Amino acid sequence: MLVAQVEDLSKRYGTVQALDRVDVEIAQGCTGLVGSNGAGKSTLIKLLLGLLVPDQGRASVLGHDVAVDPLAVRSQVGYLPEGACLPGDVTAADFVAFMAQLGGLPPRPARERAAEVCYQVGLEEERYRAVGGFSTGMQQRVKLAVALVHDPSLLLLDEPTDGMDPQGREDMLDLIARIRGELGIDVLVSTHLLGDVERVCDRVVMVHGGHVLAQGSIAEVAGTTEPGFGIQLGNNGPEVLAALAAAGLEARPSGNDLLVKGASDLIRDVAAERGWPLRRMVPRAPSLEETFLRLQAAAGGVPPAEPASPAPAPEAAWGVRR
Amino acid sequence: MSEVSAPGGTIYDRGYRHYEGPREGQGRRVRAIALAGVRRVLGLKRNWKTKVVPWGLLVLAFGPVLAFIGVRVLFAEAADEFFTYAQYLRIVAGLLLLFAATAGPELLCPDRRQNVLALIFTRPVTRSDYLLAKLAALLAVVALIAIVPLVVLFLGNTLTADSAATYLRQNLDDLGKILIAGSVLTVFYSIVALAAASLTDRRAVATAGLLGVFLGSSALANILFFTAQFDGRRWVAFLSLSGLPGRFVDWLFGAGFDQGTLADQAGFTGPGYLVAMAVVVAVAAALLTWRVLRLRP
Repeated sequence: MLVAQVEDLSKRYGTVQALDRVDVEIAQGCTGLVGSNGAGKSTLIKLLLGLLVPDQGRASVLGHDVAVDPLAVRSQVGYLPEGACLPGDVTAADFVAFMAQLGGLPPRPARERAAEVCYQVGLEEERYRAVGGFSTGMQQRVKLAVALVHDPSLLLLDEPTDGMDPQGREDMLDLIARIRGELGIDVLVSTHLLGDVERVCDRVVMVHGGHVLAQGSIAEVAGTTEPGFGIQLGNNGPEVLAALAAAGLEARPSGNDLLVKGASDLIRDVAAERGWPLRRMVPRAPSLEETFLRLQAAAGGVPPAEPASPAPAPEAAWGVRR
Repeated sequence: MSEVSAPGGTIYDRGYRHYEGPREGQGRRVRAIALAGVRRVLGLKRNWKTKVVPWGLLVLAFGPVLAFIGVRVLFAEAADEFFTYAQYLRIVAGLLLLFAATAGPELLCPDRRQNVLALIFTRPVTRSDYLLAKLAALLAVVALIAIVPLVVLFLGNTLTADSAATYLRQNLDDLGKILIAGSVLTVFYSIVALAAASLTDRRAVATAGLLGVFLGSSALANILFFTAQFDGRRWVAFLSLSGLPGRFVDWLFGAGFDQGTLADQAGFTGPGYLVAMAVVVAVAAALLTWRVLRLRP
């Protein structure tokens, strides 16, 4: 079942085409919305919330047409915006309770629910302190509590780990995983950190320059549904690629290796026929980052940086994420 | 909520629960923003520094009234002619300007400066709800100074009079005038202050700008009137924003303008100043609405 759907959606800011006729389907579960800065992620989220008016196309969220009934959408969606957006001189408990009331809760349940949600996101006694004194990680927790307090059916998280230290980032990712796993709330996480997506999401939408590069389950998008190998065959040069292609294997450079999709027997046969030394062959699939960089380069974006050589053969580097 | 008994007590599983209670509509959201605004303006649940200005002005507004009533109770005849309602309203008008000039920016500017709108407008809150709530908050706190002290003064005068019933019968029209004058001043100062605050996200700039325009316009009107010679110069009386409320109040309570002043020589009466205030309020309201409807989270 889809929780959000976007059809032929475009948005332009002056001369900048932020989104160009995109079609996106957000299924139940946790979906990552990935792309470089300026790719159109935040614009897409704001269009889903009805905060921006599209130039063309339509969006629906939880069965509501965003253009027709944006207030119904916002009453069922929790949003964690990017960047600072909290009042510095109000306590976390008061602010979360205030935001609960804006979600329609009466004052007393709003206060009770605020206390409960603050506890759930890891704000205990700190919730009685002014938010201005909080670290970035604590402020992100407050924003998450604000997003959750009116009990939404869908959470839109815009760069939730932005500016956080490694431990805080881990904690935030754990919280997001819990929100989906234990609380049963569907989540759309916008980020440029593909590792975060691989850690908590089961689906991904890749955007670049206002276009959707790919969308689907992470396994589908990263190509890990088919067997593949990282190999060093001969000089890994064009003639090797041509020979592998002639044998019906899909191959492309990936760092110091060639990434080959297909059966290992065929690779062995090419090496034997040509007399090229097969110095390395490990089960390997492209990481989400490699896939994204490749798709981005194919779409005319930043050329893919040469990934570092994979560590020599930990047992089955299959699906290892860098 | 599941529970497990343990030797030292009971351990409760405080797992996440979905909210299944009542949900309210637009009224709740507007009230929540308005109430938060009133708290913010009065510095409630905030550090002591934020309380200094609003509570200081409230003390200045209520202090003389309460002191006067106290003196009336103790020395009834000595305090008989201490001050009239019109005189007190003119004092209050000065306080109102200061109060509105600090409270208006306090209501609008931090939401934009701290980007809180990015959260508020992602709830089912419209720009109109937001504007209505902020206006309600400012009207409530400005009315606290514009109306309540004078009502208290009227009640004090009534209760300390030789015959409360006689005083009430003879001066009931004063109560009506207090409510009318207080309401006009409340609306005038509130809407103008919010309009000024909508132009910037810096509180200090909004406050200084509003005070500067009010005091500067008064100075400019006086300079033009008393130094320049041109046809229709009496109309510059309407340029003095800080003079409009006081002149209307004087007219309402039947007090004459001070001899030799701009108001005295310009020759306009209260309704003229009321119309001028209405024009200023209309322009300010249009500006405020335009600015708030353009707010982007």
